Amino acid sequence: MMAELFYALPMAIVVLGAFVLMLMSNIEGINLNRLNLVAVFFLMISLVLEFMSFGSTHEVYLFEEVFGDSFILDDFATMFDLMFTAGAILTLLINNDYFKSRDYISGEYFALILFSVFGMMMLSHAHELVTAFIALEIASLSVYTLVGYHKNNRISAEAMMKYMVLGSMTGAFFMLGTAMIYGAVGSTALSEIAFYVNNREVEELTLVIVGASFIMVTIMFKIGAVPFHGWIVDVYHGAPYPITMFMASTFKIAIFAIALRLYLVGFASINSFWTEILQVITILTLFGGSWLAISQNVVKRMLAGSSIVHSGYLLIGISSLGLDSELAASAIMFYLIAYFLSAAGAFGILSFIASQSKKQMRYEDFKGFAHRRPYMALLMSIFMLSLAGFPSTIGFLGKFYIFTSAIESGQIMLAGLGILIAFISVFYYFKLIAMMYFYPSEIPQKKLPINISTILIAMMGLIVVWGGIGTSLIPFIPGADGFIDIAVQVIRSLR
Amino acid sequence: MVVVAKFDPNGGMQFIQQSPWIVNSGMHYLVGIDALSLVILLLIALLMPPLYIYMLHERRKGYWYNMMLLQTGVSGAVLSLDLVLFYLFWETMLLPIFIMIGKYGNGMHQYNAMKIVLMTILGSMSMLFSILYIGYVYYDTTGVWSFALSDLTTITFEAQTSIWLTAGFLLAFAIKIPLVGFHTWMAPAYGSAPTPAVVILSAIMAKLGIYGIWRFGYGLFETTLSYYAPIIIILALIGLLYYAIRAITEDNLRKMFAYSSGSHLSLIALGLFLENQYAWSGSLYFIATHALASAGIFFMIGLTYKRFKSVHISELGGIAQVAPRFTFFFAFFALSIAGLPGTGGFVAELLIIIGAFSMNFWVGVFTALSMVSAMLYVFWMLQRTLFGKAHNSCQDIKDLSFREVLMLLPLVVMLLVTGIAPSLFTPFFEPYLATTLADLLQSIGGLK
Repeated sequence: MMAELFYALPMAIVVLGAFVLMLMSNIEGINLNRLNLVAVFFLMISLVLEFMSFGSTHEVYLFEEVFGDSFILDDFATMFDLMFTAGAILTLLINNDYFKSRDYISGEYFALILFSVFGMMMLSHAHELVTAFIALEIASLSVYTLVGYHKNNRISAEAMMKYMVLGSMTGAFFMLGTAMIYGAVGSTALSEIAFYVNNREVEELTLVIVGASFIMVTIMFKIGAVPFHGWIVDVYHGAPYPITMFMASTFKIAIFAIALRLYLVGFASINSFWTEILQVITILTLFGGSWLAISQNVVKRMLAGSSIVHSGYLLIGISSLGLDSELAASAIMFYLIAYFLSAAGAFGILSFIASQSKKQMRYEDFKGFAHRRPYMALLMSIFMLSLAGFPSTIGFLGKFYIFTSAIESGQIMLAGLGILIAFISVFYYFKLIAMMYFYPSEIPQKKLPINISTILIAMMGLIVVWGGIGTSLIPFIPGADGFIDIAVQVIRSLR
Repeated sequence: MVVVAKFDPNGGMQFIQQSPWIVNSGMHYLVGIDALSLVILLLIALLMPPLYIYMLHERRKGYWYNMMLLQTGVSGAVLSLDLVLFYLFWETMLLPIFIMIGKYGNGMHQYNAMKIVLMTILGSMSMLFSILYIGYVYYDTTGVWSFALSDLTTITFEAQTSIWLTAGFLLAFAIKIPLVGFHTWMAPAYGSAPTPAVVILSAIMAKLGIYGIWRFGYGLFETTLSYYAPIIIILALIGLLYYAIRAITEDNLRKMFAYSSGSHLSLIALGLFLENQYAWSGSLYFIATHALASAGIFFMIGLTYKRFKSVHISELGGIAQVAPRFTFFFAFFALSIAGLPGTGGFVAELLIIIGAFSMNFWVGVFTALSMVSAMLYVFWMLQRTLFGKAHNSCQDIKDLSFREVLMLLPLVVMLLVTGIAPSLFTPFFEPYLATTLADLLQSIGGLK
């Protein structure tokens, strides 16, 4: 019992932190800075605890006598927890200046972020469909609120409405799918479903397949796969910068956590059923996302479009999973880590700039940026190169593994298409680099403030490069292959 | 330079260093050299000091970062024996070129920088696809991942697959060289790039396209390349003449020598695909001498721009009257581009032409035409710029300074030595070429 309590502690601490923040935000005289630090403090404790329990590959159901097997603790979930808490910490710390520069932000803001992290952690631990749905809704509801937090801003309010209405509707599909699966299997626990699916012929599984397809609709909506992508650009644009960063880097990964678990555990034996559908969705997502990203003028919207493309790459990995690729699962995991680092860095820089001025950031506004802020421009270039998959960054290795897994599973066309899309993406990422470096600036060079935001961004830049070229020769520091080792270990712990 | 002394011409790959990079996927930091990479490596070592001397003039910090990165990229690409490592360096050298053209270039430099990057990346992406596929085939047959060249040469492909994979590689290299049809980035990029970038572009990077075919093309797909050989020979012949004609009509000196460079690289590619001993020695020799000569001429054009603020032939004239030293160096490099007897270019061109005649009479004639046309545009250009009536802009200019002479002198000396005494160098690469060629002919013959 005590051991299980210890395992559940990371989640408990985050939700406890959220309550403490709710209470604290009503006390006069506590400013945002302090609240932010409190939030980070709780997340840090959680992060340390997760770090301690990572790597022991235990697979235990938490509080089995109370919850049955709804919660599982394995390295897979812990790795995702690590990414969620790290993502939230980065969001909070990098955006410290941003929070102070906007007057609409109040104390509950931090509580909501923590609630959402709690929801995501629950999602990665969920081993049962209803639990997964509740966790997903906890995370989503907090994010809906966060997106529309600036309620006097028309764009922000519109983004919130759009996201909430569409999100709730697709959430209903998840529920419907769960009900159907329950109707067939008589249980919503993943282990029961897996057992049921393993012992039946495909012809007997119609109801399960239909139900799972409904669940897939929800997942596709949340990761912004075409044709469920209509919301993504507007919502990312309307949300405040910290929340865009949070959604793009952290929330999206949470969806992949549940998707991978369902695909690899619950429906493992019939997952090749969806391969053709997934391939079509992948192709649509890759092209649709590229088109959206190319046609944007505002950098934030471009990154929103490009995040659709990255979902597309991940979908290549998922559809290779269905064709029995050995590499694909760890490739997806690695890609998620790589994407998390690069996207968080890129959005972090955007919100760092946004904290200094309230202008919208178009491509033209980046003219001469390298002259004004040389170090920021360098880091931004690193993140752009990583997102584009340029070699010597972690993004290249991510794409490398994804494409190799696609070739391995025989989807040569899809791999070729992915490479073509990577070529197209070079255009819109390099366009930003070109804007930053190729034009002179009228404003003289500014001094780079050394504070927690800039230090964190610089560290992420270093990790992105080290993850691409680092060797494992230096003791105690994992090189580029350290990351893939982690990914392999994580996938192995799934059951 | 130390490497040369230790180099054993009869051995294969030497100075091999290996350290793990990403072990599970079989990517290693695997480097080594043989005669082929030695030549290009020596060129890099020879060209970089003059470049750095040149850059002392221009007080721009950005040049230095970029040139260091560029040197890393090109040396790494030449040294690496692992396909993924090669790809990494191949892409890395693009980045400094992008920044240098875009940031310090002139004319429509932003547009041209984007153009060169997009075109080159299109090529390298297709190469990446081929690399991944080859890696997978190796994994499929042996059960372990490896991207080391020595491992990958052991596998054989089906004819159809092999043709596609070769196409992936060839696209990358054809864009880099550039063969005619893949060349639209060349003139704008050369035209708007700053001098150090142009020198590297024409002297080293274009040669890497040839190097790539030689090392990876003949390393992995020696039989399939013969399938492509007629197409490439025709493209190279067209390129040879097309570029020469463009060079004759061009007024901008930078673009003129860009086209001349394209013409000569077509000649090298032609020599490579003729697949006989003369042509191969010629090609390898030409790689070296053309790099020296074109580096020299682009330095001179850079100096011209610095003095006259123009590189248009119509705005120059009569330089010989005011600046004799300048005239000497300018004429020397231009003539060695044209293949004047006594310079290295002549020996190399002669070898390739002999090779071409031994294959087919008409191919030989067309190849020989390149030499004539080069003479044509070079002499005409010299007449208009150096001699004749002094143009207004050329009245009071400074002659070459000591530093500039110091920078150019090694190139002149090397060109003369390679031209007068080629027998000093041939022992270094002849054995390598002979064995590789014998292998190649054997494997082609074995198939037939």
